[in-house]
Amino acid sequence: MASRHFKEGNETDFESDLRENKEAEGGSETDSDASSYSYSDSDYSDDLEPEWLDDVQKNGELFYLELSEGEEEALLAQVSANHSAATNHVRFSEKEAEIITDNGKKQAASSNKSKAKLKKFTKILRRKRRPSQRKAADGKDGGSSQRPTSILKNQAGQRPGVVVQQQRLKDVCVYLNPKRLGSTSPPSPDRGGLLEALLGVVHRPGGNAGKRGEKLIIHGLVPHSPASKCAEILIGDTLVAVDDVEVTSENIERVLSCIPGPTQVRLTLETVCPVGSSPDSRPKPPPPVSQLVRLLWGEDTVELQMSIAHVPHIVMYLSLKLDSESQQEEQEILYQYPVSEASAQLKAVRGIFLTLCDMLENVTGGQIVSSSLWLKQQLVHVGYWKEGSNLLVIAVPASRVPLLYLQTVIEGVVRTLKVMYGSLDSGFCEVENVPRLDHFFCLFFQQLIQPSRLIDSSRPPTPDISGTLFLDGLPAVRWLTLPADIKVEVDTILSDFESSDFGDMSEDFYGMRRLYIILGSCLFYKGYLIANHLPKEDLLDVCLYCQHYCLLPLASEQRVGQLVVWREVFPQRRAQLNPGYCQPHGRHFLLIVGLRHFMQCVLLEAGGCASPALGTPGPDCVYVDQVKATLLQLESLDAAIEERLSAPPTPCLSCADWFLPAGGRDRQDGINSSPILNRLTAAIKPPSPGMIGRSLFGEVGLGSSNLRGRRLSPQRSLSDSGSEGHVDASFTSGLSPHATPDAVRRTPSSGTRRDSLGSGGSDGSLGSAGFFKIPRLKHPNPFYLGSLKKSLTDRETEEMHNVLKLTAGAENTLFHYVLMETVQGIFIAPTHREVNHLSGSIHPQLIHNFYHCCLSIRQAFQQSLPTRDRRGTERPQSTRGLGPVKEHGVLFQCKPENWTDQKKPAPIMTYWVIGRMLLEPVPQEFYVCFHDSVAEVPVEMAFRLSFGLAV
Amino acid sequence: MLQAETLQLLCLTASSGVPLFSRGSTKQLPFSIIGSLNGVHMFGAGHGAQLSSCETDRGSRVVWGVFQESLMLIAVSGSGGSAISELQLRRLLENVWNCMVMILGQDELANIRNVERLKRELRSCYRLIDMLLERVSDDQGFMGDLTQCADCLLSSNSSLLQEALDSFAQAAESEFGCLLVHGRVAQATEKWWSRLTSQEVVVLSILVHSLSGASSCDYPVFLPQGSPTVAIRLLSFQLLPGVHVCILCGPKPSLYKAENELVSRFWSTLVENLRICMEQADRSTLPPSVSLRWDVQALLLINRESRRAVTVCPRVRGGAPAEAVPLLSSGRRLELLRLFYTFAMTRYFTSQETSVSPASPTSEDFSQGFTHVPVQCYLVTDECKCYGLQSPQHQLFLLMDLSVPTFALRTVATQTLSAITAATGF
Repeated sequence: MASRHFKEGNETDFESDLRENKEAEGGSETDSDASSYSYSDSDYSDDLEPEWLDDVQKNGELFYLELSEGEEEALLAQVSANHSAATNHVRFSEKEAEIITDNGKKQAASSNKSKAKLKKFTKILRRKRRPSQRKAADGKDGGSSQRPTSILKNQAGQRPGVVVQQQRLKDVCVYLNPKRLGSTSPPSPDRGGLLEALLGVVHRPGGNAGKRGEKLIIHGLVPHSPASKCAEILIGDTLVAVDDVEVTSENIERVLSCIPGPTQVRLTLETVCPVGSSPDSRPKPPPPVSQLVRLLWGEDTVELQMSIAHVPHIVMYLSLKLDSESQQEEQEILYQYPVSEASAQLKAVRGIFLTLCDMLENVTGGQIVSSSLWLKQQLVHVGYWKEGSNLLVIAVPASRVPLLYLQTVIEGVVRTLKVMYGSLDSGFCEVENVPRLDHFFCLFFQQLIQPSRLIDSSRPPTPDISGTLFLDGLPAVRWLTLPADIKVEVDTILSDFESSDFGDMSEDFYGMRRLYIILGSCLFYKGYLIANHLPKEDLLDVCLYCQHYCLLPLASEQRVGQLVVWREVFPQRRAQLNPGYCQPHGRHFLLIVGLRHFMQCVLLEAGGCASPALGTPGPDCVYVDQVKATLLQLESLDAAIEERLSAPPTPCLSCADWFLPAGGRDRQDGINSSPILNRLTAAIKPPSPGMIGRSLFGEVGLGSSNLRGRRLSPQRSLSDSGSEGHVDASFTSGLSPHATPDAVRRTPSSGTRRDSLGSGGSDGSLGSAGFFKIPRLKHPNPFYLGSLKKSLTDRETEEMHNVLKLTAGAENTLFHYVLMETVQGIFIAPTHREVNHLSGSIHPQLIHNFYHCCLSIRQAFQQSLPTRDRRGTERPQSTRGLGPVKEHGVLFQCKPENWTDQKKPAPIMTYWVIGRMLLEPVPQEFYVCFHDSVAEVPVEMAFRLSFGLAV
Repeated sequence: MLQAETLQLLCLTASSGVPLFSRGSTKQLPFSIIGSLNGVHMFGAGHGAQLSSCETDRGSRVVWGVFQESLMLIAVSGSGGSAISELQLRRLLENVWNCMVMILGQDELANIRNVERLKRELRSCYRLIDMLLERVSDDQGFMGDLTQCADCLLSSNSSLLQEALDSFAQAAESEFGCLLVHGRVAQATEKWWSRLTSQEVVVLSILVHSLSGASSCDYPVFLPQGSPTVAIRLLSFQLLPGVHVCILCGPKPSLYKAENELVSRFWSTLVENLRICMEQADRSTLPPSVSLRWDVQALLLINRESRRAVTVCPRVRGGAPAEAVPLLSSGRRLELLRLFYTFAMTRYFTSQETSVSPASPTSEDFSQGFTHVPVQCYLVTDECKCYGLQSPQHQLFLLMDLSVPTFALRTVATQTLSAITAATGF
């Protein structure tokens, strides 16, 4: 009991600390520029407090994530399913639960249910999602993790009046969102109150209604309410506690009204247990739906950690200066994560890392970057990064990160840490950072070692480790090209925001110095960058942060109710010294606000022309609200961007399976059986028999002259004959030869048509600008054949849409591509949706191969680059090796799996994966995968693809 | 500090860490460094973590290898110049071990009774080991140490020589005979290819090459895989300066008999053929009947079944147009070829040969990450274009001029392959 009191004391101390701190900040603010704060206070004090306010940490940082309502449904199922599994793992919440139980008991004993206590409950409820604080308070926790979830469960027997032998207590988690009740006045108690409105539990008070402390027997459930959806709350059960606060008919309304926002609440119910069924016999829950969100919330890290405990991995920050006088054990370990069996083995051999680092510098004059060692028949790569007299060591199994890409991964981590903490030393050596770093590296290793558990597995794109490694390792952000008019609109909205003209909300209005200067912002939609007003290096810094916290996949797969991230950052561009120009000495803050699929990252500067920041300021409500307003404004463009995402891919992609006879023939037969398509194929069948096409695609092999108009294809006569002189030089088979009819669309604009007309000349490349001129016409979704019936007429067949093709030759042979604009720091690749539509058995393998190969190609580019090495010293020029690699290609061969036909040899499909580095006219890296049938010149493909790609 | 462009090879006893020898172009590493290089490995092994290799930002590398749990070999490469790849160092360690076994026998090395005696005995291996160290950056066109395939010479009058060799070996009561011209295998008996492992063939070729000063010799050798504990006689005779014939045989025939009776009987009539063969070898490793395109800078062709390899590095361009740029220096071309081979083999292609010491696992296999089989690859650099091609039977690594269009590389490579195989039956 003593210890509990002690902990409770700690908690309250902490709370008061926090408050004091805030007050202190406020005080200092008032000294320098009093009114700025006071105005925001005055503006917002009477208003509803923002939900995230209580999540702001002591050092001003904030990570607040709330799922939107649509996601709650999913969460609900998960929560109820998960609940029994979670009992042993969520130790932090258990701990809080303990404290509250104590409170609850005391309350019950003294029957002095003061409002203050309930407030505390509110706070604890709110704090549930603060991982680091919880961990910080949990520093010396270790033995307590074995305790059962509910104290009530254990102690129930001691309480008089409750017969535990026959009645069983069960815990049920439900997801409650008081905001859904709307802003109407609280439901009247006679209509069931919050219990009915919020939870959906009907309780009819017994005869003497006013009786104090009546048991809450569940008499009914409201349909579609959280209680009925979770399917574990049964009529006849008794509600004993909410989050371990004992409830009766008297205090239930007050307890429920203290739930501040959408949260998960644990209900303890007393139920009549059929004899013989122990709690353990409950069915095992299905795998959780969204581990990522739980991980971001800081829940469930233990379980995820346990599942990779056998995989050797570790991160250590070691001191190279050994103080021989103090004989403390492990004093050279400044930081270490995780603590598992396999990592203990790596920790035990840290002497190797220290010795190698020291010795190799003496022997060869170079810094160690990597070493490999075998641990129980498993090859483990160790990456090193020396900073000052300290050494960062990260070990990962070779099966996850190939040696040739290890350095890129390490550099990414180091840069992210530098962005977050300024330097490795300041990140690792502060004790208070330890829980944050634990969380950081937990995410890091989870992403590397079991990415599939993080990402929703029900959706098809199972992330593949090579792909993630490659794309995350690129010094660029995934870009989504938008139609010009939408792009302009987005940019205008962003610019409006960046002008800091907040009207009567802005500091100017009150004649004050600004709190922050907005250096720029960038906007993501579903994880794609759609607008960027940041310099490249800043963009990369911001993007690295988002990547490490999985914010980009989060926004793409789940509708984020609200995401607010605030922290001080140390942009790397500003850390470097530029000769001739001195950056103003200011402090920088990163504000990320996400709403639904949109996410905006804003880089703010304090100091310089804005007022200097003192202490550790938390997020400013005005700025957060302004970003939110911007996002709400952008939401009107949601549909247009969605339309772009669901548009057929430009350039067209083919599926690998279509090139293998077996799969292809079946598909074709299936399609030909459709009468509409028969008519269509007849209509568009090329009149020229001389057309070169594979027999496989003969009837629909509709290729045409390529974009550059190098040659006139016989198909031109087709369109010529249809509509007079309508030369659609870039008409090709759409998504695939088979999907051609689907892609029927109008020729977008006269502009491109003119370009196409002129494509006979040498300026034909103009036409490629049309790659990203996506028409904003309604068109049939190319992936649904059903819509064809309505939309397809003979006339329209001839007005084929300008679907563009990257590859030369008759067929579209392009499988996949990645184009990186080095200067702008962006890359384009087929969207996830485009890739998903090309399902098949071979194609996913091909994509995996493509990315795996890209790792190798990019490493070849990197090692030959005459770059300065990472420690800023010029590499000796004599390092020639293979010399600078400009282009590198690999030809792959694949056979269909389980080929049963004994008579014929299995058909073979071959395809190229080629990487090309261009330095002129703009530095680019281009990776492409296409079928072997046509010899391609990657430079030209890159040129075609990049033309018209403007930020 | 280790000088740039150097390579040091250390040998210690695995259990006690006593240094046995240290070879390399520059002066020996300080004892403390040798001690800690060995120490880190031993420390790790004690904790169940076996250190395999490490690398610095300037391309220096250290590779550890423990053989038969008795000897530890450590290769340390200096930075600068062209970084020596891990594959190359790993193969170096294997070759050095094979050489040591070949000369001293496995028993001697696996069960160390007297360290001082072993140290003295190992001196007899220095010559071979130094040769292996030189070959890491050799400009003679030897690639066998890296490819672990015997460097071959394709001569035009092969059938005649083959016949002579077969009957010579038969007369010497041996199934293993081999004719070497300037260290390259010109002809060998069928058993030489089929019964000896490729690593044995490589080290035997190196051994015979290192003995080239003697007109004849009778040398007891152990075969690292075939007969690691029982010595076999290696008889080697100089037919012409630079041309040697060698056989592996039992107690008979005596060196005297073989030299005086058999050599003259079988080879004296062929002196002229051998001279032609030698002159041709001075020009090219390919017979004159094979005409390569003028824009081929260098090539390495490996027969994957018999584990033979031909390296071609033309001295002059034949039939090149006037405006053609001059060839790169042959040293650079061979270096590029070696680098490209390493590049392709570590990432895409596979070699089937088994490691000498299955207990000491080799490095990570990047190519295992592929679900489909890489069959060809190319690189375009500032100096040349490289094309690699793998078929079930052959591997071809080709360096071409920059003037060859990239899309034509594939055709050129397949044509070159078929031209050579058709003309020589390689």
